[in-house]
Amino acid sequence: MERQPILRVLLTGWTGLFLVFLYSPMVVLAILSFQSGPEGGPQFPIEHWSIYWYRQLFNLVPASSVAPLPLGSALVRSLTLALTTMVVSTVLGTITAQAFRRHFRGSGVVFYLVVLGMMVPGVLVGLGMALTANYIGLDRTWWGTVFLVHVVYTYPFAFLVMLAIFNRFDRSVEEAAWSLGVSPITTFRRITFPLIFPGVLSSMLFAFTLSYDEFPRTLFASGGDLTLPLTIYGTFSVEIHPNLFAFGVLTTLFSFALLAVYATLMTLSVRRARRVAVQEEIA
Amino acid sequence: MSTATQDRAMAPAGKTGAPRSLARQQTAGRWMLLAPGVIWMMLCLVLPMLMMIYVSFWTQTTFSINSTLTLDNWAAFFSTPTYLDSLLTTVELWFVTLALIFVIGYPVAVYIGLFVRDKTVQTSLLVLCVVPFWTSFLIRVLAWRPMLGTDGAVNIILLKLGLIHQPIEALLFTQYSVVIGMVQIYVVFMVGPVAFMVSRIDRSLIEAARDLGAGTARIFFTIILPLSMPGIVVGSIFVSVMVLGEFATPSALSGDKVNLLGNIIVTQVGSLKWAFASVCGVILTVLMAITVVGLLRIVNLRREI
Amino acid sequence: MLEIRKVTKRYGSQTALDHISLSVAEGAYVSLLGPSGSGKSTLLRVLAGFEAPDEGQVKLDGRSLTTVPAHERGIGFVSQGFALFPHLSVFDNVGFGLRYNARKPLRDGVELRRKVLETLEMVGLAPYAQRQIQQLSGGQRQRVALARTLVVRPRLCLLDEPLGALDANLRQRMTVELRRIHAALGITFFHVTGNEMEALAMGDRVVVLDAGHILQVDAPDIVYNKPNSIAVARFLNRYNLFSGRTDSRGGIATAAGTIAAPQSTGPGQVSDFMDFCIRIDKIRVMPEAEAVSASQAALSATYITSEFSGAIITHLFRLADGRVAEVENHLSHRRPAEYVMGQRYSLVWPREDGIVFPVSPGAAEAAIRRAA
Repeated sequence: MERQPILRVLLTGWTGLFLVFLYSPMVVLAILSFQSGPEGGPQFPIEHWSIYWYRQLFNLVPASSVAPLPLGSALVRSLTLALTTMVVSTVLGTITAQAFRRHFRGSGVVFYLVVLGMMVPGVLVGLGMALTANYIGLDRTWWGTVFLVHVVYTYPFAFLVMLAIFNRFDRSVEEAAWSLGVSPITTFRRITFPLIFPGVLSSMLFAFTLSYDEFPRTLFASGGDLTLPLTIYGTFSVEIHPNLFAFGVLTTLFSFALLAVYATLMTLSVRRARRVAVQEEIA
Repeated sequence: MSTATQDRAMAPAGKTGAPRSLARQQTAGRWMLLAPGVIWMMLCLVLPMLMMIYVSFWTQTTFSINSTLTLDNWAAFFSTPTYLDSLLTTVELWFVTLALIFVIGYPVAVYIGLFVRDKTVQTSLLVLCVVPFWTSFLIRVLAWRPMLGTDGAVNIILLKLGLIHQPIEALLFTQYSVVIGMVQIYVVFMVGPVAFMVSRIDRSLIEAARDLGAGTARIFFTIILPLSMPGIVVGSIFVSVMVLGEFATPSALSGDKVNLLGNIIVTQVGSLKWAFASVCGVILTVLMAITVVGLLRIVNLRREI
Repeated sequence: MLEIRKVTKRYGSQTALDHISLSVAEGAYVSLLGPSGSGKSTLLRVLAGFEAPDEGQVKLDGRSLTTVPAHERGIGFVSQGFALFPHLSVFDNVGFGLRYNARKPLRDGVELRRKVLETLEMVGLAPYAQRQIQQLSGGQRQRVALARTLVVRPRLCLLDEPLGALDANLRQRMTVELRRIHAALGITFFHVTGNEMEALAMGDRVVVLDAGHILQVDAPDIVYNKPNSIAVARFLNRYNLFSGRTDSRGGIATAAGTIAAPQSTGPGQVSDFMDFCIRIDKIRVMPEAEAVSASQAALSATYITSEFSGAIITHLFRLADGRVAEVENHLSHRRPAEYVMGQRYSLVWPREDGIVFPVSPGAAEAAIRRAA
């Protein structure tokens, strides 16, 4: 395939255009975040460049007709929710995948029951949860009903990731541990878990990302207290201002920073391991 | 040991239980592992869905709702042109979006999975595709407004390049804008799975086919396409789930002119018309069920994992 | 000490182990020989507790293991791929069983260190204690796997093709090592292999397994000299095999010619089915014309070629039925002979050295059907 130069050029070009298409809103967003304020609106042209809206996010500007985004508590809620969802769904995903390591009757049913969680549109899950909560007289809260549906959503993803990891896992190391007299639980803790940990990490990352930005399910299952996406949605019907874009740019930069830290840590630990190996060889 | 006990101990696995104990221990342990997840899904997913179906048959008046069963809501849906229109639009936009996503995303996935040799470059490209997700979905949807409007970025660029002489009106607040928005946001869900499946194709298969004289088109249709099929199926399911449930994008990008079933659900719930909202919900569920079952018949997903 | 009673294990429609029964004494070194698919690995896994048998039971020191999970059996297992813990050092690998034992974990760091280093010393790896697994060669990894299992002093140690991944030289050395360790520790060893020479060299008892059945259990020299069936003779790769029917003059008529059977077998029925084998190093090659005495058996064959492997030379001859017979000469005993390709010779051996296996008519028919 690689020897087809024309095809390669075409596809490279297509992928390039694709990336432009993918990133263009982000670029526009970034440009408009530097709109002048408070009169400037979220559209072209740029009246003049300024970082007004960034300062407005942190309440560093005098009060104006534009209300600051009620982000503070919403951010905390979203983070808390995302962290707890991440932990719970990863645990559920791991123990369910562990059960799937040996074939059993009914495994097909359980598999699709779990995977159902990611195949039902968020609106419906949210609607259903709201109806159920009303019916049994339960209050809709961000830490109750919303948490439940977040896990419903992220648990299947964690499950599939761990399933894939376990499928490639060589169980002879576990058997070796058992034959040495080590109990299955200790074996899991000392042998299996360290070896599947990269998968667990990906699971957690996945779950966190999905929960943090989750919107449709949260909309219906939520009570009065809002998560971050809900707060943003709240501004849809009201007027939109470039402070939203400034917020978007900041969160993206923050994610980039996290990725950079993660990548650096990974490279460092890999390099360190290699150095140790070399030293041993010389010694 | 007496012969009787000896015989019992050596009996084939059965009701006496002794040779079965290890197996039984295993089964008990397994159900303990499965119980939490299964119970959670039953209570928090299956139950709410059943509730939704149930409520769609409730009697809904302007001010109240009660659990007397009736078909009124259903009749109301299917006899009102607005709602039928909305159903049609939903299905239409769903197909169009899915088709566009496939056409746009598939070549990219093949490029990343097949043509890029360097693993690091491959990973970087995939990461590049995922990075936009770290900006909130809603903000990304909004970002299209200043792009597509008559004063928007697209028009400005096209005017500057002299490709058009008047700004294109139809870009914003129409069905087109909704499609463009949805395509851009969900295309990654097709690129990811397909790139993954394509990268797993053994290169030597393609080389062997070449050696046997197969042309590029032949190789594509007999090797690449079939082997990437699980990725296409997974991608289509993901995209369909997202698109069918959409309401934010139509709301933001069409000025509430385009009403998908999702939008109807939102507005109905807004005015506490739960029963009617449930009707729309059940219809969406049926659409989704048909798609998933149909797609899963093409590919046995469990094997791929 | 170890009793295996009518153990049966099926996988779907395949029977991997068919009512296997075996007794093993304390401190024995048992070799389990069989081709791939014979069920030898399955038997090991059943003993270790990784699989439960469908029928039958295993008893260790008189106690039935049916309800005992793998980690409580006190049976060590060294798998074919060694299964070393990749994220731990050599020291931590070897110390793992001691440190995290379910019944009596060893918490005392000093004692742990002493035992680990002692065992590493025994397998000759003491200076490698702090290495990571990835830095070791195949032979070193195998010794770590062995050390790891031995340090917890199991009652029984199962070895699954332990020498399979090693080159010939290393295999030779490890054979000696294993025997030395066995003698030093007195642990009962169960050594599984597909290599007949390895099985004969290692065990004080050899168990020959095929298609889930035990064919023969004996000391190595008995298995080697007196295989109890044509199947065992086939595994040993040291015999020329024939099958035919008895004639009226105490011979066996085969497609390759008439073989004079050992006189000690006595007169059977004429036209009984018989399997016959003669060890390849018992045959002498004589010119075709030379007369054969009454105490000798002979077959006519055409010379093809010879294979030279150090101290042994194997001559290949084409028999009258088209099959190839091997004749082995140890070069320290004789001058290497020169044969002419395509020339007919007489393969001669003392009648009494042949081994005869009567075959029931039913089995003969089955064999014919299988060959067809």
